[in-house]
Amino acid sequence: MTTATAAGARRPSLDAAATGANLLDIENLAVRFDLATETIRAVSGVSLTVAPSETFALVGESGSGKSVSMLSVMGLLPSPPATVSGSIRLEGREVIGMPARELRQFRGRDVAMVFQEPMSSLNPVHRVGRQIGESLRIHRGFTKAEARRRAIELLDRVGIPSASARVDDYPHEFSGGMRQRAMIAMALACEPKLLIADEPTTALDVTVQAQIVDLVREVQDEYRLAVVWITHDLGVVAEIADRVAVMYAGRIAEIGPAHEIYRATRHPYTSGLLRSIPRLDRPVTTRLAEIPGSPLRVAEQLRACPFDARCPLVGEGCGEALPELEEVGPDRHGSACIHHHQMGTDSDLWSEGSVTGEHAISGQDGDVVVSVRGLRVHFPVVRGLGRSRSSAIRAVDGVDLDVRRGQTIGVVGESGCGKTTLGRALVALVRPTAGTIDINGDPIDHRSGRHRRVVQMIFQDPFSAMNPGMRVGDVIAEPLRIHRLGTADEMRERVSELLAQVGLPSDAGRRHPHEFSGGQRQRIAVARALAADPEVIICDEPVSSLDVSVQAQVVNLLADVQAATGMALVFIAHDLAVVRHVSHEVAVMYLGEIVERAPRDRIYKAPLHPYTKALLAAVPFPEPGVRSTRSAKLEGDLPSPADPPSGCRFHTRCPVAVEGLCSTVKPELLEVAPGRWVSCHLAVAPGRS
Amino acid sequence: MRRRIDVRRLTQYGVVVVVAVTLNFLLPRLMPGNPLVLIAGVDVGLLSPEDRAEIVARVGLDAPLWKQYLRYWGDIVTGDFGYSFRAKRPIVDMIWSRLPWTLLITGLSLIVSAVVGVILGAISAWRRRTKTDLGMLTGMISIESLPSFWLGMVLISIFAVQWGLLPSFGAVTQASDLVGWAHAWDIISHAILPVITLSILATPGVYMTMRYSMLETLGEDYIRTARAKGAGERRVLFGHVARNTIAPVVTVLAIRLGFAFGGTVIVETVFTYPGLGRLVFEAVSGRDYPVMQAAFLVFTAAVLAANLVADLLYPLIDPRTRTS
Repeated sequence: MTTATAAGARRPSLDAAATGANLLDIENLAVRFDLATETIRAVSGVSLTVAPSETFALVGESGSGKSVSMLSVMGLLPSPPATVSGSIRLEGREVIGMPARELRQFRGRDVAMVFQEPMSSLNPVHRVGRQIGESLRIHRGFTKAEARRRAIELLDRVGIPSASARVDDYPHEFSGGMRQRAMIAMALACEPKLLIADEPTTALDVTVQAQIVDLVREVQDEYRLAVVWITHDLGVVAEIADRVAVMYAGRIAEIGPAHEIYRATRHPYTSGLLRSIPRLDRPVTTRLAEIPGSPLRVAEQLRACPFDARCPLVGEGCGEALPELEEVGPDRHGSACIHHHQMGTDSDLWSEGSVTGEHAISGQDGDVVVSVRGLRVHFPVVRGLGRSRSSAIRAVDGVDLDVRRGQTIGVVGESGCGKTTLGRALVALVRPTAGTIDINGDPIDHRSGRHRRVVQMIFQDPFSAMNPGMRVGDVIAEPLRIHRLGTADEMRERVSELLAQVGLPSDAGRRHPHEFSGGQRQRIAVARALAADPEVIICDEPVSSLDVSVQAQVVNLLADVQAATGMALVFIAHDLAVVRHVSHEVAVMYLGEIVERAPRDRIYKAPLHPYTKALLAAVPFPEPGVRSTRSAKLEGDLPSPADPPSGCRFHTRCPVAVEGLCSTVKPELLEVAPGRWVSCHLAVAPGRS
Repeated sequence: MRRRIDVRRLTQYGVVVVVAVTLNFLLPRLMPGNPLVLIAGVDVGLLSPEDRAEIVARVGLDAPLWKQYLRYWGDIVTGDFGYSFRAKRPIVDMIWSRLPWTLLITGLSLIVSAVVGVILGAISAWRRRTKTDLGMLTGMISIESLPSFWLGMVLISIFAVQWGLLPSFGAVTQASDLVGWAHAWDIISHAILPVITLSILATPGVYMTMRYSMLETLGEDYIRTARAKGAGERRVLFGHVARNTIAPVVTVLAIRLGFAFGGTVIVETVFTYPGLGRLVFEAVSGRDYPVMQAAFLVFTAAVLAANLVADLLYPLIDPRTRTS
């Protein structure tokens, strides 16, 4: 490790404005990983400053170097293989090359960190309270009793109900949202000056994400905390960021004050990221704007703009030299694009286009392909001797649904609402406890699995949903083999046809899944689902594990496929904004039941159920300063599906619940207008009251 | 949080015990030929008709099968494992006289291999991918591949034959009326070579489990969280890594404890050590079936008990496995 010499000639002029008053001052940071097989230049030439009490958003896709930069601030990168160079100053003190003992005193006391996966980031064998108190014991010399007392106060502060009773719980007894609150409590314990939040909401539901964003904003004011918020989603941080840096391929592509970044974007990559976020306030287009290709992994020293292969503005000079950050606007707004002056305020760089195909969006009246009536899927909770079914997880509890040819039905709800179980029941991966599923009028046959030719599925995680030992060609051909569709030659031909249809090179069939990026793997999954020429595809959160720029590619691919083949899609997701783009009809699920179902435009324009309203309000709005408070904020966590609340299942979290009515009388799912179903005592259909 | 004994678990153990005992009961009766051969264990033709009738009556071979079965259970519950016609002794006595010796050497070697394996495994994982780690790993793999009889014989030829430091066979010096400390030293000096042999052979397994488990733990996100809190290496190691690492190792050790009751046929034979393993060897070579069956029962019970111990210990280490 080398300590960088002070501002060299290459230091961007933008930083000249940075004064000594900064909390964090990073100059020309570079991180290299020397692995056995290759060298990865994860970060190079990154300079940025964070002022006290400021919220700094570090945005980029996976592999862009955003987490690595901040882990090097904490000195948490394993060395070897990591080599960190440049300069990182915390309140004027150089961190790089600092002896381990001194560095440890910074960690937890002056700088604290919150990580992406709250479950795996908490030690499973220690009580939550002990883990929160640990940094107080390390840095402040607290006794066990003092630390525990303080842990209760902190848990209470971050909004854990009855904190003194929960302090001795283990992490697995907390819900996902509570775990992240506990992580925040842990970070706040020593009242640090800087909080680094590494994708703290990515693993959480939209509703919980909104709660966590609000919580961080509150404690930030209270503790006068500077926050570096690492995220891949510009939408999440729009409401809280003061300054934003967008990273690409280990370098800063654009940096500046939030309002400039969002409103006067000066880098085509930033604008691509912004345009690929599905937005609730824009008219629905049949195709989302997509950034072609996939993010770059940098092994060699860069000699050209790393984004040129994916950039619509690519032109003279882009491939000749590495662009440096240049000041392009007020308040130290910088862009590393030599053609930045070509960018308008809201340019048409990334056009959405529209889906074309013989089956493109027909309307309401396709034939019913899948018909679900009274579907219940209960999982018995086995306790004690034998199989006494004293209680059961009511994952799906009375669902009616029709899926029509050429149409997409979106199923949304928080995790635990039963949407995934519903999807699995449709593919007969789980056996219904009651109710019927008919496919083309025939009841589903659980034994033969023959109907699975007709109903296919795409799973959430393309990394684990594919046998890593099989070649991609075999992965795609497997449904053909199972259903004995054609000879070996016909299958080979069909595979290359499918590869072309999902936009993969023809030699992809001979390679293994690990050689592909997340987005490409999801394309393979689409090809596999299409292979047997099904009539319905169940997509279970097909884009939620993908980078924003790639999400749009997969969503568009699904829309294209539907237009070309006229198949029906069931699109299961927790993200209402994505669902809006792909669905003709939307069903909202809560604790195993459908609480509202309506054609897309109706439900988004005028939601009737308070739960739908809350879900919509939780969707982050990718523009700063537009919204500071949420209209209908959802508190708390989903109740246990083993013991759902009486009456209306939502009444425990409902902002408008009527005492005595909602808690006792169960509302029916009623058709309040043609095609418009809602189960709420208080929802009045427009033009019916 | 109070934890009740998991009834389902206990039921599973009960089922395994019943199945094992039933198999043991049925085997001699279902095999072709006269079950008397298998039960009496000697060449039946040599017995006088009176003796044969006595055995038939004693084991109840003339009674219906279900009566025999009940009787068999009754015998087991009251600790009657039958009679060895070859050794002319009740089998339970034979087992009782052998078990302490087996437990002495297998128990000691279990402790030694656990301590050495855990410590070396921890050092190896902590210094992963260094020369220390690779050196130890290579050494352990080499040891793992040593044949036990060969190692035992090498140790005998060095310590007993060449240097004459330690006795090469038996558990005590025959026909010596040693008492007090002299007697104790006699026992210890006889146990040293078998214990060393068994320890050397058992250490690689513990080491591998420990090293792998700790490498897993070190890669966990919560270790990074602990470091992010400013925890020093010592705190990370003992506060966060240790308990998460040790759970699988405890399971491996508990299961080995079960196997320890069975003794070890090869090492006890090489050292002519009067343990259960050697008893089994003698029973096999003398076709003394009742003894083999009794040893099988003891072995089954010990393995089950050890598994139960592991099952009961695990929730103490990992709260996620506690039933609420």
